[in-house]
Amino acid sequence: MKILAIDTSADETAVAVVEGRRIISNVIYSQIDIHKKWGGIYPTLAKQAHEERIDGVVEKALKRFMIYDLRFKNIERYMDGIDAIAVTQGPGLAIALEVGIRKAKELAIQYQKPLIAVNHLEGHLYSCFAQNRFGKPTYEIKFPYLGLIVSGGHTEIVLIKGHLQYQVLGETLDDAAGEALDKAAKLLGLSYPGGPVIEQLAQEIGQIDKYHFPRPMLQSRNLDFSFSGLKTSFYYYVRELPEKEKIKSIKYLVSSFQEAVFDVIVKKTESAIKQTGVTNIIIGGGVCANLYLRKRLRAMVKKNNGAIIFPPFKYLTGDNAAMIGIVAGYKAKANQFVKNSDHLDRVTRMSL
Amino acid sequence: MKTIVLKRGNHSYIVKETVKVLSSGGLVVFPSDTVYGLLADATNKYAINKLIEVKNRPFGKVISIFVDGWGMLDKQVEILSSQKQVLHEILPGAFTVILPSKHQVDSRLESEKNTLGIRLIKYLLINQLVRAFGKPLTATSANLSGKQPHYQLSTFQKELSSKKTQLIDLAIDAGNLPRNRPSTVIDLTKANIKVLRQGDRSVDKIYISKSEKETKKIALSIFNQNKKNVVKKPMVFIISGELGAGKTVFIKGIGEELGINNIISPTYTIAYEYPLKDKYFNKLSHFDLYQIDSAQDLEKIGIEEVLKPNNLLMFEWGEKIGNLIKVINKRAYIVYINIEYITEGSRKLRVSYNS
Repeated sequence: MKILAIDTSADETAVAVVEGRRIISNVIYSQIDIHKKWGGIYPTLAKQAHEERIDGVVEKALKRFMIYDLRFKNIERYMDGIDAIAVTQGPGLAIALEVGIRKAKELAIQYQKPLIAVNHLEGHLYSCFAQNRFGKPTYEIKFPYLGLIVSGGHTEIVLIKGHLQYQVLGETLDDAAGEALDKAAKLLGLSYPGGPVIEQLAQEIGQIDKYHFPRPMLQSRNLDFSFSGLKTSFYYYVRELPEKEKIKSIKYLVSSFQEAVFDVIVKKTESAIKQTGVTNIIIGGGVCANLYLRKRLRAMVKKNNGAIIFPPFKYLTGDNAAMIGIVAGYKAKANQFVKNSDHLDRVTRMSL
Repeated sequence: MKTIVLKRGNHSYIVKETVKVLSSGGLVVFPSDTVYGLLADATNKYAINKLIEVKNRPFGKVISIFVDGWGMLDKQVEILSSQKQVLHEILPGAFTVILPSKHQVDSRLESEKNTLGIRLIKYLLINQLVRAFGKPLTATSANLSGKQPHYQLSTFQKELSSKKTQLIDLAIDAGNLPRNRPSTVIDLTKANIKVLRQGDRSVDKIYISKSEKETKKIALSIFNQNKKNVVKKPMVFIISGELGAGKTVFIKGIGEELGINNIISPTYTIAYEYPLKDKYFNKLSHFDLYQIDSAQDLEKIGIEEVLKPNNLLMFEWGEKIGNLIKVINKRAYIVYINIEYITEGSRKLRVSYNS
């Protein structure tokens, strides 16, 4: 079953065509691409921007799909090869989600295709199962998994007993891990995006933990996260430092901060393994692009005789529509289609 | 395209030959600390024309530059003294730093916002070359736009059409480069947004909170005192305060009373909304303006759409609301909250209203 998937949950307009776990075409129109690199302004989280881009991105994704599937020589008939439309329903920014949902409805009605609504967080989990168009990598999906989502907006641990069966074991009570990293960087004048800058600076000094900032929630027995106390403690520490020393210590400060955040992530994941007995881990979200976090998680999982799967391609750690399409394939198998597309509405704070 | 193979002992020859080509407006493929780069005189219009043609670079996409040290860096971009200290700690290194341009290079290398990407790296050969040349060089990767960068000269050459090959004058072959990641970008340009000042608001009351729990309680009591006064208008909380002051905690205090127990800060999504089953309010819109850096962005996040009676709006980093306050003023009942640190564990909450 070939699915056209749309994700407009935040600042990227993303469309993909997938078949099962295979990503046939994947297009991401990203303001970040331009701004993160050069412009100095944040992605315009604008409805207008999504509206301007969505048609073009859908067309580009379909064209790339056509190149792959030569049966459809006529661009006018490119939707013939698509069996269903999938779209992110939430969580995300309301006015951004709306654009994708409206486009998905429009396509579903115009071409009489069934519609599938997907939770963006499911997408991040299933990004680990993605394959390229040649079906690589080939590993089998073997439930149960512990799923870990660490991104700018989310930090949670989920038990996944089978396809589409989620039980949230713990989540952040305030800031997400990526958010905490970004804010710490900004506090030191390092600006956005903070995560990669911190990763690089910490690596230069071998990830030394000089300051031992508090590890929030490590004492508590549950699997929830909280990073706002760490943020406050960091803020307070930095504020009291003489300017010169602050700057001199910048690498040590960010490295120690990163260490505190990652310690919590690694140890909470380990607690989840111990509590559930599930040792196979999947992880998604932007923060898992950090190679040092990967290394630490790998070591922890190995110690517990488990296995960990990361998204196989780097673009899958960020927001994308391919992961939405992969989830949708399993939803289609389970006959979970949107019954009345008129009633499909965005859910900005959607949970698993 | 002439090719010289980099060997031990021929570095100064390579620098000399490369400078010769660059001085006459030529393009050179050159190894760097990350991938193979395409070097051109950043101040030479004709050289940049050629560079853009080879790369298929869409107009408006910017290109960073190599400098050889702090002297040259100072001439190219504006740096605040506080930023300079930070930069001294992290450069030279694997970063590209974005700063306001002093317009010394071809304007096509700059962004629409007049910013420029600068690279000061730990790669001796490039530094020697820039020093010998005396002017900044383009630091773009040798690849066609949208294609992967190259760690081998030969894979780049394969990608080029014969016409494009002719545009490149010289290539320095250093074999397989170590697969270092592309540089990390640090954006040090300042946000351009009007910040709301205290102005002519009258402070109504000051609370001292010694814990998160107490902050929530105070929030709820402020909410309850005010909601009776809201008639046929949306109610808006504009909350300001530094990082970690407890803005989200304040909102959670009110949210929990309204039956929402999963409020988190919407830093990246800018806004979350929650349907309410309440006598007074149908919907809570929770905004976080932390990421908003321009008035244009502010206008596009859908504030006006939810500025309707029976809606409750809460703004974190409310000081960034800027000119939008005029519209909100006209249509809504506003409560301003400012939260300040007293100590790590205690806070001062100031409530004020428009006078």
